[in-house]
Amino acid sequence: MIPNIYKGEYRLLLIFPLILIAASLYVLPSLKMGVDFRGGTLITLQVSNQPDAAALQSDLLAAGFDANVKLYEGELGRKMEIEVSQTEQMYEADRLKEEFGAQLDKVAQLEAQANENASHAAEYEAEREKLYDIADSMFELVGANTRADLYTNLNGLKNAFNEAYLRMSDLQMEGVMEIVDRHVEYTSRSAMTVSPALSEHFLEQAFNVVILSAILSTILVFFFFRTLVPSLAVLTGAASDVIIAMGGMCVFGIPLTLPSFAALLMLVGFSLDTDVLLTTRLVKRKGDPRENAFDAMKTGMTMSFSAMVAFLVLFAVSMITHIAVYYEISGVALAGLVGDVFATWGLNAVMVLWYKERQSKKVSE
Amino acid sequence: MIDAKKILAALVLLFAAGIYLYPVFSGLFLMLALIVFGALSHFWHGKELKMLSLGAIILLALFNMGLHGLKFGIDFSGGTRIPVILEQSVPSSMMDEMVSTIKKRASAFGLTEVKVRAVGESQINVEVPSSDPEFIKAVEDVLARQGVYSGVTDGKEAMRGEYILPGTIYRVPSSALRGEDWAVAFSVNREGAEHFAEAVKGKANYPIYMFLDRPNDAIVVATWEELTKNTQLAADKEGLTSAMEECLRLEGNGIELYVYDGELGNITPKTNRTKAVVSKELSETIGADLQARGFQLSVVENEDMAPKFQASEGVEGTIVDEWKAVGLLSSPLLSPSITTGIPNYGYQIGGAAQGTGTAKSQNAYASERKIESILKGGALPVQISIGSKTIVPAPLGEEFLKLSIIGLGLSLVAISLLVSLRYRKVSILLPIIAISISEMVILLSVIGSFTIDLAGMAGIIAAIGVGVDSQIVITDELLKKEGTRDEKLAKAFEIVTTTVTVAVFAMMPLLFSGMVEIIGFAISTILGALLGLLISRPAYAAIVGEIGN
Repeated sequence: MIPNIYKGEYRLLLIFPLILIAASLYVLPSLKMGVDFRGGTLITLQVSNQPDAAALQSDLLAAGFDANVKLYEGELGRKMEIEVSQTEQMYEADRLKEEFGAQLDKVAQLEAQANENASHAAEYEAEREKLYDIADSMFELVGANTRADLYTNLNGLKNAFNEAYLRMSDLQMEGVMEIVDRHVEYTSRSAMTVSPALSEHFLEQAFNVVILSAILSTILVFFFFRTLVPSLAVLTGAASDVIIAMGGMCVFGIPLTLPSFAALLMLVGFSLDTDVLLTTRLVKRKGDPRENAFDAMKTGMTMSFSAMVAFLVLFAVSMITHIAVYYEISGVALAGLVGDVFATWGLNAVMVLWYKERQSKKVSE
Repeated sequence: MIDAKKILAALVLLFAAGIYLYPVFSGLFLMLALIVFGALSHFWHGKELKMLSLGAIILLALFNMGLHGLKFGIDFSGGTRIPVILEQSVPSSMMDEMVSTIKKRASAFGLTEVKVRAVGESQINVEVPSSDPEFIKAVEDVLARQGVYSGVTDGKEAMRGEYILPGTIYRVPSSALRGEDWAVAFSVNREGAEHFAEAVKGKANYPIYMFLDRPNDAIVVATWEELTKNTQLAADKEGLTSAMEECLRLEGNGIELYVYDGELGNITPKTNRTKAVVSKELSETIGADLQARGFQLSVVENEDMAPKFQASEGVEGTIVDEWKAVGLLSSPLLSPSITTGIPNYGYQIGGAAQGTGTAKSQNAYASERKIESILKGGALPVQISIGSKTIVPAPLGEEFLKLSIIGLGLSLVAISLLVSLRYRKVSILLPIIAISISEMVILLSVIGSFTIDLAGMAGIIAAIGVGVDSQIVITDELLKKEGTRDEKLAKAFEIVTTTVTVAVFAMMPLLFSGMVEIIGFAISTILGALLGLLISRPAYAAIVGEIGN
């Protein structure tokens, strides 16, 4: 049998989680943002030759594309993933598009007013010039052979502008693929583009989800325990777990994407599970707290192991199929589950035990 | 006790009927069943009843799977994902509207297996279970199609979509209405104003036939019965025919009407691209003949072939109000004030609403929306474009699915091994495994009635590992020496309820975030937790509790 780790100076157990947390915080700045949150294009190719990924990447970089090329060998053939960041031009195009939309509405309203009442004509002319300037910047950006003042009809201008905007993303894709074609022979190709606006939206949503979820969990935990220290211990455990998981992401090169974000959130739930188990057994039960803690640990470890087993299987499947969603979810979950073992039984347990023993001392005095 | 069983049986039948009759809602019925039986099994204390509740849920889940099968996303079934990019971000109510319009567009072309969902505020993803380039091209064309509005008066095109200034079409607030129940206002540019004034000069109270995508170079072929389905005046053959011909008339681009009476006669296409508009029903009889004569067929729904007529006669007799087969959607009459020949820049189309009270305001709203969408060139409130698409070849998807299902099985086996190592007792092991399998079946059935995508599958595999947790908590409590069985169970359930509640609430915000890529994962994780609390855990405690005594 495993000896009870809470016999003796259990506060020494703090060392492990604290080291892990410190190490995670140290590497945290290197956490990579995936295409979902950063914007950009992810191109996936089923490859039929033996391409040189490093050479392709340096060629892409030389052409001004901030690219990251990965080549996978697998049961299902060779697969290449090329991640290209959003270029400056694309940002510029997006910005122009937003501006154009707002200005177009303004000019259309003014045109209607100017037609009815000539006193608006000057203002209309001025705003229309501004609209033309925006459109011309876009035409210049994509090298379109046209000028805004050729369009007297606003609907016509709008269509030409939208065409130019679409041309922008096509141009970027063409530029990348031209270089890729020199290096790679492929049987199928797919591309996913996340526009700057969409990535911004995802970031905003993710932020809201984190805040809401944190508030909900905090309220619930306080509701269930109704005492400060145990509640704080539970929340500390969960927070440390997420930090350790994010540290793991940095170490294993898992970017923050929608799936890995979802996995982090699931970890909060899971880590609260073990924390609640421990804290309930310690705070609400009679008997020797150290025995209770060790008892809870046996149960909790079985829980953690069973979850780890499931995610290990998912991880194995991801290694064979190279499905990024599987890899990201299982990688984050595994890192977090390991982190949870330390955070729960090293940090949370020590906090609650210390609180419990001080309390019983007070009672006996 | 007998009563409870009867209730159970009645409920099972009820849910089964729901799943059978409304396939679209089968997933929701299953979830509802889960909650109902879960709640009941907390009130029903008999071990037998708890087991029966679990059995009932599994039965329903299997029934649903057998009846409707499982739906897989294109990552597993193979297919193409086409992102539809909106010209600007839109509020969520407008987004819902756009998603349903795009769904309608796709289904109108027989693309029933198409999935449409919003991604963020300015993108809609369309998934098609095919990777055939030609088919995908056709879908893209359908999706990107922006309708063209054109208004025809007395055989002349008086108004055109491009004359309308962008962003100036709006529904007139009820406080600004003068006598009408609803109205839509818009402004036109100088060219449009002058053209319109010229075209409608002296045409007071003539109808302006408002078309959306009026077919070019086309004829209409229909039987008299088809054409007069909507009217009691079928006897007035001459009046109705001239009304129909009137609305099809356009200088240089008129649509001719052929009333089919068993003979096609000697009609021939004007050019090699002349379309023949026919109903589905009639195309079965004469479609081949028309094609043989060189027509391109444009088949419309049977009910769209029948024009609707206005109740009151206009200055020139009966007026066709709506004829979907040719894109005629509304025929308001021209007010005398705009037919003087002097250009106007702002226009208003309005009318009376039918009914009283709420029905009346709903009717007014519907009329407004209709006119608004015609003027905007289709129901899409903002312009769209097609982004770069993702193609998953079907064999690759199948391989993914196969390996994922192997993973699902493997994770069950591995967890069983782990549990058997920990407890070394068949009487504990078997129920845990049995319940894990049932959980998996229920999860697959519920999520499969929506769509199992990659994230959803990952969530199901994970749910097996996390779902077994509560069984472990209960087992460990029951194995304790002190306390009665009921006390131990109460303690176990206290922990389980807390952990499940917390886990569910931590994931809940993700469910409502609208980030569709990971909603599958959120649903399976939440459902996995709830499943245990509501069904398997009470049942499991019943089985193991018996053994533990």
